[in-house]
Amino acid sequence: MTRTETELEITHDDRSSHDVILEVRDVDVTFDMERGTSRVLDGVRFDVHRDEMLGIVGESGSGKSMFASALLNAVVDPGQTSGEIIYHPPDGEPVDVLSLSESQLERFRWEEISMVFQGAMSSFNPTMKIREHFEETIRAHGEDIEERMEHGWQLLADLYLDPERVFDSYPHELSGGMKQRTLIALSLILEPKVLVMDEPTAALDLLMQRSIMSLLGNLQEEYDLTIVFITHDLPLVAGLADRLAVMYAFEFVEYGPSEQVIRDAAHPYTRALLKSVPSVDASLEDMHPIEGESPDPVDAPSGCSYHPRCPLATVECTQADPDYHEFSEERGAACFHWEQSGDEIEYALGVDPDEFPESTAAFESEEETVVSLDDVDVHFEQTGLIDELFGKESVVRAVNDVSIELRENEVVALVGESGCGKTTLGKTVIGLQEPTAGSVSYRGQDVWEAKAGSGDYEFDDIRRALQIVHQDPGSSLNSSRTVRASLSAPLKRWRPDLGPSDRETVIYNLLKRVGMKPPEDYAARFPHQLSGGEKQRVVLVRALLMSPDLILADEAVSALDVSLRVEMMDLMLDLQEMFDTSYLFISHDFSNARYLTEKSDGRIGIMYLGNLVEIGPAQEIIHDPKHPYTKVLRWATPPLDPDEAKEANATDPPIREIDIPDPTDPPSGCPFQTRCPDAREVCTREVPELQDTEGAARVACFREDDDHEYWASEPVESDTVSLKTESKAD
Amino acid sequence: MSHTNESGFETDEQLTDEQLFGHLAEDDIVSLSRRERFERILDAYFLAPGRVAWDDWRTRIGILVVTLFVFFGTIGPRLVTPPATNQAPNNLQPFDGGVAALWEEGGWIDIGVDHQLSMGPISVPGIDIRYPLGADNYGTPIGRNLIHATPDMLEMVVAGAIVSVGLAAIFGITAGYKGGKTDEFLMYITDIVMTMPGLPLLIVIVAIWSPRQAWLIGVVLAIDAWPGLARALRSQVLTLREESYVEASRTMGLPSRTILARDISPQLMPYILINFANAGRQVVFGSVALYFLGVLPLTTANWGIMMDTAYSEAHALVNLSNFYQIFWPMAAVVVLSFGLILFAQGMDRVFNPRIRARHAKKVGSDEEQIN
Ligand code: SF4
Ligand code: SF4
Repeated sequence: MTRTETELEITHDDRSSHDVILEVRDVDVTFDMERGTSRVLDGVRFDVHRDEMLGIVGESGSGKSMFASALLNAVVDPGQTSGEIIYHPPDGEPVDVLSLSESQLERFRWEEISMVFQGAMSSFNPTMKIREHFEETIRAHGEDIEERMEHGWQLLADLYLDPERVFDSYPHELSGGMKQRTLIALSLILEPKVLVMDEPTAALDLLMQRSIMSLLGNLQEEYDLTIVFITHDLPLVAGLADRLAVMYAFEFVEYGPSEQVIRDAAHPYTRALLKSVPSVDASLEDMHPIEGESPDPVDAPSGCSYHPRCPLATVECTQADPDYHEFSEERGAACFHWEQSGDEIEYALGVDPDEFPESTAAFESEEETVVSLDDVDVHFEQTGLIDELFGKESVVRAVNDVSIELRENEVVALVGESGCGKTTLGKTVIGLQEPTAGSVSYRGQDVWEAKAGSGDYEFDDIRRALQIVHQDPGSSLNSSRTVRASLSAPLKRWRPDLGPSDRETVIYNLLKRVGMKPPEDYAARFPHQLSGGEKQRVVLVRALLMSPDLILADEAVSALDVSLRVEMMDLMLDLQEMFDTSYLFISHDFSNARYLTEKSDGRIGIMYLGNLVEIGPAQEIIHDPKHPYTKVLRWATPPLDPDEAKEANATDPPIREIDIPDPTDPPSGCPFQTRCPDAREVCTREVPELQDTEGAARVACFREDDDHEYWASEPVESDTVSLKTESKAD
Repeated sequence: MSHTNESGFETDEQLTDEQLFGHLAEDDIVSLSRRERFERILDAYFLAPGRVAWDDWRTRIGILVVTLFVFFGTIGPRLVTPPATNQAPNNLQPFDGGVAALWEEGGWIDIGVDHQLSMGPISVPGIDIRYPLGADNYGTPIGRNLIHATPDMLEMVVAGAIVSVGLAAIFGITAGYKGGKTDEFLMYITDIVMTMPGLPLLIVIVAIWSPRQAWLIGVVLAIDAWPGLARALRSQVLTLREESYVEASRTMGLPSRTILARDISPQLMPYILINFANAGRQVVFGSVALYFLGVLPLTTANWGIMMDTAYSEAHALVNLSNFYQIFWPMAAVVVLSFGLILFAQGMDRVFNPRIRARHAKKVGSDEEQIN
């Protein structure tokens, strides 16, 4: 059964001939490198429509950031941009962006098209107050300060910031999310027509990402903006963008209205990508990584650049570059065999969330406990000299009274926003961080007593049993040592009985096992000669060579490309079986945590401001969250299914404030009390303990106790954040 | 799909390991002969760095200059007759006789069967060279003088550089890696030393307690260079120790000395070497300057003394026909300091894994990943 064109051609409304604001014609961006010309944009042809939200999705190295820079003629030297980018202002003559002079560009970049990058942190001058940043920009463009500042005030308010406070702050006084929102407001201050955003939320937390996305939707409507949103995170834009364009190997392979692209992608790459993205709603069996690697910009494959990885590739594909097949005016895919892609690469969106199988993994598992934490506190004193002079003392409670047990062969994921103490807790579990109160024990032996020399276990054994895999594959390998040298270190230390040949054998076989073939070649490489995924595999192998009982995987897949994450997690689970180890997986991303834990019948723990607020079997946490905060996180994790995404977008977040309270000054009572939509008066006084619920999960919220005084207590005034309303009451 | 203990391994930890490694070691046993290992080590530690260094002309010059300096500082004096006054005519011009000396008898060079050049135990027939660089006011040949001053200079430079960089490395790296009280104490000392004024103090020390051995002079001259470097190294170590791979090594239970040697020092090496070269230059400049000024006791041979003699006895700066007497030692100082800088810069490349990988024999594929 093959598809016919009519099936894909969904009748579109009468806006058919779109008003085009940016016309991109045959744009190439090239860099001359030592080993040849690197073509990072390859003959891109594309139209951006007026007043649309366009989502551009691609993996790292696909050329999507170059596209953003090219739109503003901002490709850094020595890059060469050629082709035409024509901007049609609402009134007046079209301009070719690529032929503007430096001074014209300067005006153009703020007044017509403006741009927000990922690193908001470095976009501000740390010695200037936010107000001065705004004023300086306005002055540079010779606009009326008063009028514009008023506009800025309004923008900040629209973005849920307190304009007065923000204006009077220095950049470092704002949190990451606030800074990013401020930057968005700043980029809109001169009322540009187009806003180009390159991964603006990648460094932020889930909830903040989602909130910013929703706010962007509002801004777009309110100020008649055209937004070009560039990201690697397909689910994030899927629900919000009007149109989606997918980039692969330096060109667009498919574009169209986002719902159509998601539901019935025509290009094999898009389909494979949809299959590989970990999401909260797709079924686990359906998730598959994309085989192979992204092409090198210096010598991209001839013909269709996807052919080395494409299951549908034929001889034709290797010879000719496919043109866009246009199903309709607004839908196209660059593939010869688009008719068959639907049958060959199947994917399903979303499973019914009500039908999750009752978790049978009994919570009272038989397995022996490897590490247990009892009432652990980790507090950091942050008293600098200046603070001391002013008698100010600030203690960060990174971990607050947490008890948790990790068993053999178990996968536990800790999920929480950044700064919630999950990494500190993880390091405490593996004995890298000394708790300020409470105890950490390994198989019944207190770790820190053992370290001090008074214990039954040798500390060396404990040290060996608890290992770590870091987040950033770039810095977790010593750049000046080869893979062989890095992998030999643990063996030399712990297996002195192995001779050099045995060591070599073990290393080669393991490298082969994780798919790095030929191992002789990989063993001799330096880290810079490996891709991110390969580095992370080496790091995992290095940890496993210690044959540990527990590995702390600190955001171990977050730095990898979406299409590689599933593969890495599968590898982790696969090796777990072989090496008999447990994982403590730390993540800010619900989808990754869900994939790893649900596949291994593990548990998920939710952390908030240093407290463990809910912990239980993965299925239950994902599909039946109980703690109000878990519900918020769940809300912030966008589903892929367009219907559900729409539904999710229509609901407001179940939360009263977007920003997390200052961790040096946590709220009294329940830590979530300031943002919880269900908070009542008692919550501001008393601290809830983790307690059993009807399910297998344990939750720290009074609402789980039917007889608690909570039910008789007065609700605190409860205005949830509304991201949907057009104008917000100040 | 459950990943609980289905693998059939027994729960006894040690046995599992044995099984596991046994299993891993079974298929495709790699046997590594002693020779192969030796070759690998040779390639990684000597040949590849050597190739990297030789690949760059600046490094080549640097190596050449440093090698020459070491050569003249060790073997040179044995080949060249010690200088003495009145060995040559007073104020003999360099290259006496000019180009014509090549074919005429006499002058600075003679070629012919009945001539022979004897350099210590070696004698080269057919050629003879006589005072090519000229002689000073007292008829001391300048070339011989230069060469015979080199051993003391070498001793001075090496001792000064080793002591100052060594102190800095010990203080900086220990303070940075250990942290806490150790850090505080070591930095306290460093700061005290740092606040002492370098040159004036030096002059005072030398005046009170005039050091006679060359190495001691070198140490005294370089002593004020270390606190700054120690501070810089400490701050670098502070960042490095937080790197994920260092934490991973700690988690693997590797001893501190291994971590310092393998993970931290290589990253500091380029920096240390640059400072080594700088300390060397500082000693050269310092000694020359102080001898020239006559602050240091005239107990060792030094290019500075030659310059002083040229200046005060032959009035080399006024009487331009004697300028060559001050020119040669000055040229030696400049060439040496230039060579040291080039050498240090070249070493920077040697420690860069990206460049090293390109030159290592064993690395199969050479593509850099674009992420
Ligand atoms: S053109 Fe061929 S290789 Fe390219 S995506 Fe289509 S089927 Fe695959
Ligand atoms: S205890 Fe109160 S404030 Fe805390 S989560 Fe439960 S309802 Fe919300």
